[in-house]
Amino acid sequence: MTATIEPERILREMNQLWDQTGADTGGAGVLRACTMTLIVVAENDEDAALARRTIGSIMHDHPSRALVVKTQDGEDMSARVFSECWMPFGGQQQICSEGVELTSGPRHFAEVARALVPLRAPDLPTVVWCRGPGAFTLRAFDELFPLADKIILDSSTISGASAALAFIRSLRLRGYRIADLEWTRLTGWREVLSQVFDDQSMQAPNSITSIRIAHGGQTPPICAIYFGSWLGRALPSAHVRFDTAEGDPGLRSVTLSSREGDLSLSVSSGGCLAVTGLGRQYRTALPPRDEAALMREELKILGSDSVYERVLG
Amino acid sequence: MPDDHNPFADPLRFERRVPECAMVIFGANGDLTKRKLLPALYRLAYDRRLPASFAIIGNSRTDLGDDEFRNNMRDAVQKFSEDTAFDPDLWSRFAKNIYYIAGDMNDPSMYQAIGKRIGEIERHNVLFYLSTQPSYYGAVAEQIGAAGLNEAGPGAWRRIVVEKPFGHDLESARALNQRLQAVFPENEIYRIDHYLGKETVQNILAFRFGNGIFEPLWNRRYINQVQITAAESIGVEGRGGYYQEAGALRDMIQNHLLQVLATVAMEPAAVFEPDAVRDERAKLLRSIKIMQPEQVPLYAVPGQYDGFREEKGVDPGSNTDTFAAATFFIENWRWAGVPFFVRTGKKLPKRSTEIAIQYNSAPLSLFASGDGDLPKRPNLLILRIQPEEGISLRFVSKQPGAGMHVRPVSMDFKYGASFGGRSPSAYETLLIDAMIGDATLYTRQDMVEASWRVVEPILHAWQSPNFRVPLYEPGTWGPPEAEKMLERQGRHWRNA
Ligand SMILES: NC(=O)c1ccc[n+]([C@@H]2O[C@H](COP(=O)([O-])OP(=O)(O)OC[C@H]3O[C@@H](n4cnc5c(N)ncnc54)[C@H](OP(=O)(O)O)[C@@H]3O)[C@@H](O)[C@H]2O)c1
Repeated sequence: MTATIEPERILREMNQLWDQTGADTGGAGVLRACTMTLIVVAENDEDAALARRTIGSIMHDHPSRALVVKTQDGEDMSARVFSECWMPFGGQQQICSEGVELTSGPRHFAEVARALVPLRAPDLPTVVWCRGPGAFTLRAFDELFPLADKIILDSSTISGASAALAFIRSLRLRGYRIADLEWTRLTGWREVLSQVFDDQSMQAPNSITSIRIAHGGQTPPICAIYFGSWLGRALPSAHVRFDTAEGDPGLRSVTLSSREGDLSLSVSSGGCLAVTGLGRQYRTALPPRDEAALMREELKILGSDSVYERVLG
Repeated sequence: MPDDHNPFADPLRFERRVPECAMVIFGANGDLTKRKLLPALYRLAYDRRLPASFAIIGNSRTDLGDDEFRNNMRDAVQKFSEDTAFDPDLWSRFAKNIYYIAGDMNDPSMYQAIGKRIGEIERHNVLFYLSTQPSYYGAVAEQIGAAGLNEAGPGAWRRIVVEKPFGHDLESARALNQRLQAVFPENEIYRIDHYLGKETVQNILAFRFGNGIFEPLWNRRYINQVQITAAESIGVEGRGGYYQEAGALRDMIQNHLLQVLATVAMEPAAVFEPDAVRDERAKLLRSIKIMQPEQVPLYAVPGQYDGFREEKGVDPGSNTDTFAAATFFIENWRWAGVPFFVRTGKKLPKRSTEIAIQYNSAPLSLFASGDGDLPKRPNLLILRIQPEEGISLRFVSKQPGAGMHVRPVSMDFKYGASFGGRSPSAYETLLIDAMIGDATLYTRQDMVEASWRVVEPILHAWQSPNFRVPLYEPGTWGPPEAEKMLERQGRHWRNA
């Protein structure tokens, strides 16, 4: 490594960027807004480009200072500033958020962490979003985690549900506030099930005695384990069973059995869930679950997330 | 609440859910339905906030079939949806559950027809929305009752939403309420005041009670005066007939602006729950000092813009107030002695609704200022409701350069610019709340009565036979008397 990052220079460049962006708008000016620092650890060049696109989309709801760490072994450590601007609907003034992209190999994460400290937007929460599998496997990430008020991981990026879960639990035991986008992907399923039981005319769910979770693939994927754990916590007297099923890996169906009969949620065509049983038969569209939608949901929750924490145990 | 019995609830992540229900709109051929209700309902469907089975049953006299009515509503949605793309597929799914029943609101058989349709589409939860002329409110509620449509089965609900105005004075408000409550219990009566549904009015509560630094300064020790302005630059725009019966005091101050005042001045509720919040608003409204008749000329000023009497539908001798300003005092320990100046009007210089909280000046002026007026420029906190929602704080700062010269600067927070996402319209918020059963942002009868009690002495004075409403030039801030009202109290209107 031949170069180090100079935070003062980056902050100065960031200010110059604002002056320039303001001048480019022909006097209409830009507005800066910031509700948090979002540190994004991308796996490589391509991943960093995808991350930037997602950041651009989530900025509307969560204007942040984005600090993108692009992992690249063997490269010098370097940094450049960028801004994300957009024109609100019907607006006359652009809104911009600011960002810095740092390039570094994991070996230098300790130094990256030191550089990130002064670059964070002061007095606002910091979220560290680790996009790839590296966070689960490389100890270098331990240098970055202490910066975070919340760490967002995605366990779908690695194989081996039990190792992923063990790692997430270990972070939680170390006092970190964790989110896993694989859990976030289940919100649609969970919400559909919850809605069935919002109905006052529905039997009390504690009459449910067994739960069958069907998943694609040979072993239960982490989403199935999460779902089972969530149901198990909500219905402690019900017995949870996992079965394999035809189709893509992931959750295929969930069946709750009680004296009154079975209630099933199953994957249906067109991004829908089919709800059947106990007098119900309908399909309901699941909300979009692209990366930006998942991140938007997670960034809304900066405090404790008691439901997910209970699921982790 | 569903959460109590549902172990699967996750309020941090799940949207509050609207149960299967139908909305019956009386006055479905009218302006409000087309401009506000249908665009709001369509947007809620667009955002997937309504169940797929959500049904609308419209009623008015014009003879239309379901399909014609659907077409009219589609046109309205296309014309009046300001920031929602029109999606033909979504619309065709949404419109499948829109129905129309032609008939007169005074005709009992029309309610039988509505009941029959509700039965056919098997909706147990029903929201009746009175988007009609106010004179129908009582009668429609009674007819709903006579037809038994107010009776919900086990676990279901029947609710009624009433548009403002809630009566035209205290007595008529009480009489209307008796008629409504004879059919619906108070907790199923939703009196809509769309100001309370505005994101920025709700933000006042977040600003006051979500931050630690403002509330300690939010009282008579630090605040010198509060000014609430709701100005429109346009005139009555074809609604002259309606407006001349109402006037600015009734149309704006009695409801919207007193609700805003209550939001600015109320005590914190112990919990953010409908009745706890509404109790505090109601308590505040009851604490406003009622003017004695002889005080009215000193503390309230009407005005009429020059040219109002020539507007279509307006009586050439009309004495209606198109401008109203008043000084209110709140008789409690927090606010005793602090004047709340409230004004509203048509054909004023610009469209703007804002609350200006003026702090006491610094006790000593240590610094020279390039601005000789500086001592008269104390800190000012502006809560802007429209058009550019946000918050500004004016404070004094050193002028760059040699010497210790100071000048006022304004620090702005723009709500729309900080959060680029779209804010829901007031009607979207309020309709969802009514369907979910959350009445926090709705007005309760005791609040309605308290605010009528506040404005009634003014109304009486302005309606006395010899009283003439002063005229003002369009494009000015009302008649000069409005400024004099403040001058007598050693103050000035902002921007005046
Ligand atoms: N317009 C707004 O922007 C606005 C804003 C705030 C509050 N409000 C309040 O909202 C309410 C509705 O306002 P609006 O402007 O929509 O009213 P509107 O246009 O005057 O009336 C609504 C519709 O009611 C129907 N109608 C009249 N008499 C009827 C009868 N006897 N039986 C059945 N239908 C009848 C009429 O259609 P047919 O001719 O087909 O019967 C009319 O189009 C009012 O209370 C108003 O004060 C309105």
